[in-house]
Amino acid sequence: MHHRLKDTFWLAGRDYRNEWQMSGFFILALAAVLGPMLILFGLKFGIVGSMLDNLIEDPRNREIRPVGSGRYNRAWIEELRNRPEVAFIVPRTRAIAATIELKSETGNRILPVEMIPTDRGDPLLKHQKMPQGLQQLILSDSAARKLKVQPGDEISGSLTRRFKGRSERVHLPLQVTDVAKLASFSRDGAFVPLYLVESAEDFRDGRAVPALGWSGSAGDEKDRTYPSFRLYTRSIYDVSPMSDALAKLGIEVSTRAADIDIVRSMDRNLSAVFWLIAIIGLAGFSLSLSASLWANVDRKRKELSVLRLVGLRTADIVWFPVIQSIFTAFFGWLTASLIYLGVSFTINRMFVSQLESGDTLCHLLPAHFLIALVLTLAAAILAASMAGYRAARIEPSEGLRDI
Amino acid sequence: MTTPEVSTGNGLTGDKVLIYHLRDVVKTREAEGTAFRLRVPSLQIALGEKIALIGESGCGKSTLLDMLSMTLKPSEIGSFRFRSEKGAEPVDISGLWRKRQLNRLGDLRRLRIGYVMQTGGLLPYLTVRENINLSRRLLDMPNDGLVDELAGDLGIRRHLDKLPHLLSVGERQRVAIGRALAHRPSIVIADEPTASLDPIAAERIMSLFIELVDELHITVILASHAWRHINRLGLRHLEHHTHREEDGSMTETVVTG
Repeated sequence: MHHRLKDTFWLAGRDYRNEWQMSGFFILALAAVLGPMLILFGLKFGIVGSMLDNLIEDPRNREIRPVGSGRYNRAWIEELRNRPEVAFIVPRTRAIAATIELKSETGNRILPVEMIPTDRGDPLLKHQKMPQGLQQLILSDSAARKLKVQPGDEISGSLTRRFKGRSERVHLPLQVTDVAKLASFSRDGAFVPLYLVESAEDFRDGRAVPALGWSGSAGDEKDRTYPSFRLYTRSIYDVSPMSDALAKLGIEVSTRAADIDIVRSMDRNLSAVFWLIAIIGLAGFSLSLSASLWANVDRKRKELSVLRLVGLRTADIVWFPVIQSIFTAFFGWLTASLIYLGVSFTINRMFVSQLESGDTLCHLLPAHFLIALVLTLAAAILAASMAGYRAARIEPSEGLRDI
Repeated sequence: MTTPEVSTGNGLTGDKVLIYHLRDVVKTREAEGTAFRLRVPSLQIALGEKIALIGESGCGKSTLLDMLSMTLKPSEIGSFRFRSEKGAEPVDISGLWRKRQLNRLGDLRRLRIGYVMQTGGLLPYLTVRENINLSRRLLDMPNDGLVDELAGDLGIRRHLDKLPHLLSVGERQRVAIGRALAHRPSIVIADEPTASLDPIAAERIMSLFIELVDELHITVILASHAWRHINRLGLRHLEHHTHREEDGSMTETVVTG
């Protein structure tokens, strides 16, 4: 009571090969539907994927800035640092007090820049030589250009204040440890250790900074509060929950969450459009394959009934059109994949100059090819089911004589 | 039960082993006010016998062949037994039909029956060799040289690796005969096997066919409308009479033998 699936497979395969023109036509018809779909999806996946990658990689998208100023003490900042969403946090001093005038030997003018407090792990200064102590800084690209300095160069900084009715100026030697990337900070700025910014604020507020020999009134380090902070979350997906959490504490923040949402909703909408096209395409192919398989069963009625007569069972005969449609699905998918590989290679070559290295415009994962194969097989088997049903109704006695 | 008789229904008449033993088998077909009935009060075919069923089309030949080849269910069955070989238990075909064991009937067909169709019925995508070997392949029979031997006897050895469309109609019919015999069935059923051939080729192929079934001890039932050369081959005629009602409402054919 065994099924003769291997014989049916062999017979269906021989028939498929014998009618290679017709088989080839259907393979190409499938490839003509599936190939462009793979390219379309490859483009969507590649473009939206690299947009998302850029969002993820650009630390500015993970930044949360408080709007306006508050009063945050060190303990509160430390508490925030311990939250799992937080990758980096450093307090900011008052913006007006955080400026410094820089002068280099090579540059011919004095450049006022804003000081940005930094610390180890600053997402804007990845892989850069961090400044230490009170006499080192990292310049922004634009500032370094105007001062005509390189990493390692010595420059001098100066601060002014009005103290007890007199204008005072202090100078301090500074070393440029590195230059930040253009994307990190576009204005004239200097990344400095927090202590240097705090010292500048102290100086402007008339407090003494003994470490730098600046005189003034004594201050209490414990009472220090900061009006703002620089905060970066671990991933772009932490931005929304973190800003919600801060909003609950009454801190209004600004983020790039909207940008992230735009890309994500674009991804969703493009996916919907893609699936619509894919479903229409596959359904059309499925219908035309279905009609041809159905007609095939009628055309091969005599041959199929002969097979019934020599002993193949109904269940075996049903497989005949199904196996052939599986062949079409597989070879059509293979052809479409080759078309895709050729076209995506060409597209990526064409745009190679416009892309950052590592980015590809048209890109699919192995899993996508596998999904395409499974969907195509499903559509083909569905198409063959009607023909299989028709084949099952062929009586063996039909093969005995010509009708 | 000491002296086996036909009436005992055990399939033995003297030293003859009955491959078919039918009693009161009826097939009725009705279409638009006219009815056709094939009635077989009694039919016994012995193993190794060569039977000819001769008559015009419409007389019920095909209906009888379909019932004997177990592809058509009779309307009424007194009894229908099939014994595939000497010493084998007869199979109760009426029981298989009643219990709708269609796959058992299919297995029986595959194993025991060979068919020669009017126009080949060869599979166009298989070579001549694969066509002849098809029934053997479906039975997982190992190659014992019979396919080549048959091809030699049938004069088609040089065509073995060709596809059927490259052969003449007569050659294709020889291939069909080879396929019907290759798995050494108990019985070969041939419905007008030479109808599409010219008379000379038809006679030659028919003689070859009968020679081969004789050699292989295979029972044969041959339906044909050609009288002449059938008589010469020493086949037993199956008697049948067709009776028509005067108003045309009923045609009945009675077959005995």
